[in-house]
Amino acid sequence: MIKIKNLKASIEDKAILKGINLEIPKGEIHVIMGRNGSGKSTLANVIAGNETYEVDGGSIAMNGNDITEMSIENRALQGLFLCFQYPVAIPGVSMAYFLRAALNAKNKHDGEEEMDAVKFLATAKKILSELGLDDSFLKRSINDGFSGGEKKKSEILQLLMLNPQLAVLDETDSGLDVDALRTVAKGVNEFKNDNNSVLIITHYQRLLEYIKPDVVHIMIDGKIVKSGDMTLVHEVEKNGYSWLVK
Amino acid sequence: MLKKIQKYSHSRFEEIGYPSKKLENWKFSSSKHLKKYLSNNSDDKDTSIDNHGDEYTLCFMNGEITLESLNKFIYKDDMTILDIDQLSDENICSTSSNFEKEALFHLGLSTIKSGKYFEFKKGSKFDTPIQILNFYSKKNEGLRISSFNIFKLNQGNNISIIEKDVNKGSSSFNLSLNKFICSENTILNHSMMYDDSTESNYLGYNYYELGRNVLLNIDSMNINSTFNKNFIEIDLNKEGSEVKINILNLARNQQHLDNNILMNHNAEHCISFQNVRNILKDRATCVFNGKVIVAAGAQQTDSNQSNKNLLLSQNATAHSNPQLEIYADDVKCGHGSTTGALDKDSIFYLRARGIKESDANNILVKAFAKEILQDFVNDDIRNLSENNLNHWIDG
Repeated sequence: MIKIKNLKASIEDKAILKGINLEIPKGEIHVIMGRNGSGKSTLANVIAGNETYEVDGGSIAMNGNDITEMSIENRALQGLFLCFQYPVAIPGVSMAYFLRAALNAKNKHDGEEEMDAVKFLATAKKILSELGLDDSFLKRSINDGFSGGEKKKSEILQLLMLNPQLAVLDETDSGLDVDALRTVAKGVNEFKNDNNSVLIITHYQRLLEYIKPDVVHIMIDGKIVKSGDMTLVHEVEKNGYSWLVK
Repeated sequence: MLKKIQKYSHSRFEEIGYPSKKLENWKFSSSKHLKKYLSNNSDDKDTSIDNHGDEYTLCFMNGEITLESLNKFIYKDDMTILDIDQLSDENICSTSSNFEKEALFHLGLSTIKSGKYFEFKKGSKFDTPIQILNFYSKKNEGLRISSFNIFKLNQGNNISIIEKDVNKGSSSFNLSLNKFICSENTILNHSMMYDDSTESNYLGYNYYELGRNVLLNIDSMNINSTFNKNFIEIDLNKEGSEVKINILNLARNQQHLDNNILMNHNAEHCISFQNVRNILKDRATCVFNGKVIVAAGAQQTDSNQSNKNLLLSQNATAHSNPQLEIYADDVKCGHGSTTGALDKDSIFYLRARGIKESDANNILVKAFAKEILQDFVNDDIRNLSENNLNHWIDG
């Protein structure tokens, strides 16, 4: 699904990613854990094509296609979805308008017809109900005045509506109470199937009580220093990250 | 009365002199190009118009009302309509202390050919708005056209006025002077739509005098004006009144759009909101001079002033000057101003959902504008404005 080779990236001449190697096959959930400032969110943004960051070397390929130089929107249209850590508020643009614009762009790219309003509403309402959100959510401006939980649920709503091939969840668990965390995790589990993949970026293990990863990676100072299974999460929980620093 | 006004204004214009950049209201607006119109006042008597609109429309051709539109005007029996020359009370024609200092205001008054006084009968409520169409004929190339009208609302009136400029192809200097007298317990919705594809220059002076418990909504959208400078002054003279101003200006090329708003809170328990947004492309410029003055004794005033400017080009320029002068101690007043380009994080967010960069930009421009348009009181004007906005963005 996604193959990252020796990826190096910087911001304002400061090197953040110092040679990331990561491969996530179809049907798997991977987790990247690490301290604050280790480069986890930078990796998520660089995968999504955020132009604030400079790619200094290496490559990112999705389904065998090199996307390293691809535009942000084309990566999304290829099936990449970034669940934002801090979703921006955009007053004046309703969630409904935004979701339809995104869906129409996807359908057009895939050579499919635009989703009609009736089907769109029915699909959106079903997901909203599962997320414990009212239908009126669609009329609200994007993330404007949303609580922390609503913002993350809005990201999951978009994930489920757009149904991408790879979801990158950047600290999706931060700032959520237990109930909201369960709801968000339920959404991710619902999304997951044998034909797509998930990359979860977090520095807590609490989301992993609800979403079971296939592989766990530890990132320190811009590099993945260790990979393993869930036992690695428990070791980090018990001993912190210091023992992994050479 | 008319001759008296003309004579007085002529002497005031001579006394004050042509506006220079030393004046606060003209600091960022070059008036040099208007000088050529000083001695070129239009005397075009042409009042022929192909379309006088419907029975709710009053047509003005080169500043003068057309008899055809007046004769079929549906509300004429609910109003007193007089020539300003027929008025005996000088106070009705008096203007604000600020306009009194404006040379070009007096230039306009000194050369008006006529003017109308519209007084609405007590208690009249019009379901359908009055539409005012200001036509400017083709023969006015390089000429100055002045108009002066007074509207008086009496107790219980609920009136909506939609004002539109229709230029028939010549580039003129249009000086529009209006006074609105709102007696107690009245509602006035005044919408102004400027969409001019000629090289015309527009200078507007709108003065509103409010009594007790008046609700005044001013909505304005300005598009395609070469030079458009609009003065709005409001005197809240009695308690309990509320004013909401929503203005959206769109400019491209070297167009210049300019709003000067003075809100005089002279009485207790009054509310005012000013919301002015400018969107500029190319080398366009805009000015916002907004001032709220809360007089001593105007306690419990609630006033807010907001100016936001969106620059879509590195060569566009916005001048913003929000001011508060507060002489009362129990008031709530705020003001704010922002100027900047489209937010990069917002563009990234939309693009990360597969939306093309150009579409993402357009979505954000529309969103910026819609925050003003959604508060327009009149549905038709809001829809028309949205259409104009879409054309402007695509154009």
